Amino acid sequence: MKVKFFAYLRDYTKAKEIELEYCSTVDELLHRLCDRYGDEIRRKLFNGSELSNEIIILINGRHIAHLEGRNTILKEDDVISIFPVVAGG
Amino acid sequence: MMFGWTGKLIRVNLTDGTVKTEDLNQEDAKLYLGARGLGTKIWMNEVDPKVDPFSPENKLIFMTGPLTGTIGPSAGRYEVVTKAPLTGTIGASNSGGHFGPELKFAGYDGIIFEGKSETPVYLYINDDKIELRSAEHLWGKKVPETTDELLSETDPGARVACIGPAGEKLVLYATVMNDKHRAAGRSGLGAVMGSKKLKAVVVKGSRSVKVAEPKKFIDVCIDARMKIKNHPVTGTGLPTYGTQVLINVINQSGALPTRNWRDGGVFENAEDISGEALAEKYLVKNKGCFACSIGCGRVTKIKDGKFKGFGEGPEYEAGWALGADCGIKDLAAVSKANFISNEYGFDPITLGSTIACAMELFEKGIITKEEVGRSLYFGDAEAIVELAEKVGTREGFGDILAEGSYRMAERYGHPELSMSVKKQEMPAYDGRGVQGMALEYATSNRGGCHVRGYMTSPEILGVPEKLDPLVTEDKPQWLKIFQDLTAVVDSSGICLFTTFALGLPEISSMIRTALGWDCPDEEILRIGERIWNLERVFNLKAGFTKEDDTLPPRLLKEALPEGPAKGKVAELDKMLGEYYRVRGWDENGVPTEEKLKELSISF
Repeated sequence: MKVKFFAYLRDYTKAKEIELEYCSTVDELLHRLCDRYGDEIRRKLFNGSELSNEIIILINGRHIAHLEGRNTILKEDDVISIFPVVAGG
Repeated sequence: MMFGWTGKLIRVNLTDGTVKTEDLNQEDAKLYLGARGLGTKIWMNEVDPKVDPFSPENKLIFMTGPLTGTIGPSAGRYEVVTKAPLTGTIGASNSGGHFGPELKFAGYDGIIFEGKSETPVYLYINDDKIELRSAEHLWGKKVPETTDELLSETDPGARVACIGPAGEKLVLYATVMNDKHRAAGRSGLGAVMGSKKLKAVVVKGSRSVKVAEPKKFIDVCIDARMKIKNHPVTGTGLPTYGTQVLINVINQSGALPTRNWRDGGVFENAEDISGEALAEKYLVKNKGCFACSIGCGRVTKIKDGKFKGFGEGPEYEAGWALGADCGIKDLAAVSKANFISNEYGFDPITLGSTIACAMELFEKGIITKEEVGRSLYFGDAEAIVELAEKVGTREGFGDILAEGSYRMAERYGHPELSMSVKKQEMPAYDGRGVQGMALEYATSNRGGCHVRGYMTSPEILGVPEKLDPLVTEDKPQWLKIFQDLTAVVDSSGICLFTTFALGLPEISSMIRTALGWDCPDEEILRIGERIWNLERVFNLKAGFTKEDDTLPPRLLKEALPEGPAKGKVAELDKMLGEYYRVRGWDENGVPTEEKLKELSISF
């Protein structure tokens, strides 16, 4: 599955996007990313055991807050986009 | 003695060249706070909203807020208020930099310009010395040259707000530029300045702004600054990447309008014009305005090639308009067209959107190569740079582009292809994928605009809490609060970006301790509601009706073709009636007598 990273998350992943082996849920995917990229990204994605509120996670463009949160079931061809909370205007 | 406010205004009659000072009306100041609110109230006291924007009877007001020039976070804003030539609505646009604080340091809350000069002039203020001077030698010069010459002939430590050639030539979306790169950017306020032959205002001040409760004020400002520093948006995101970082977020959310909003909300080359790309390729350094604790400004440089240039930006909206909306992936060209916009002094959002509209007219065969002077397909990077120059001089097809997309599209029989509301081009969020923004565009008192009630914050970013962008429920209620709070922020003199980290309690605390007020937060939010209603009254008196609270047919009828909002149109009909009800307006969108009385609005 395709995972895209944006803004300063790229400093940790050293990649704009990666292909990752299938993960069945958002939670599994996030832990897989932590295993791969280590504590720096873990601190961005999680606040203790809770999902950080400084991160935006989209599945095919849809925010996980409007899906099933970290329990959202993923499909093989899903595109996951992960941003730090940023703004414009 | 007054606190926050200086208590003094400058009144300049450009017809007879007289300059005098007068006391600020304290009752109005208490009701309308400053900047956007108080500027509008002063204008409404003195002018009929039916006035022709370019007539001598239209007044042009520069107004600061009570927090402008204090140690409040990002407290460097001033507002330009007048009747807007692009829209015919209330025109109010604010800007950062250092000009607003300097006006306060000179001892004035604002300046009222009335009449019209026969020859080009500029106003020079140095504390108590105020004089109109000839600007014959500056007429025709761009913003950077004008600014440098004025600093050289007055005081190198002064601050300059001026127009470029676009304002002189009445480009309907000309800006007022200050400190070279900051803009009171929307609705064509610079053209009103040009119509009055007022090239610039130069100000130097040596005083300071007094607040009522200095110790408490310092404490609440420190607290506010800490919150800004610790918030992910204001403490990390904006300083690191500037506003352009939003390109990828909005694109991934399927709401980045592409090719005149024709091709949906996903631009295939968004990464090429993103904030990440800007930081990697062209960023020289960050820049903050007066007292800013964020520093979202980008100093950028294109070192070589055909789009070589230097300046600031592009900001997100400009980057989108000149990029995705025109189908352009060349960030150097986008940046160059943005530099040109700032140098000539016009709004790059309306420019980009107007060129995008022209591109669609061209591809449909409605306008020809002969008419434009070149081919004009979506994606043509050289076209936006060439046409930006032509708008600045009103040369060739630039003369038609200078009227904005609505008048241009109407001229060719296709007004429906103008992506505008009340003749002002909508910015970079597709209302079909962000329903609250659709309602904001339709109801904003200055036409298509995102910064009167920035619903993108809750709907996309989840600040202060996450709302579903695809549903309409509760959006009228949320939008009302956002619009009212924004009116307070704009009128106080601090930057709207602080509200990513600060809410009503923090903003109210700063206002209360600066002014020595003792009132609940709700009463301060009520000031915002009062301002919103007064602006609505302006528009109704100018001839606008419920029929104008709408969106381009494309948003209402053509569903998005892909992305998370696939199949959605803007469901304005589900929200507008409820919005009027929440506002206490009748079914025609007119504030009721009871509402006006409750808000103590008289006009």
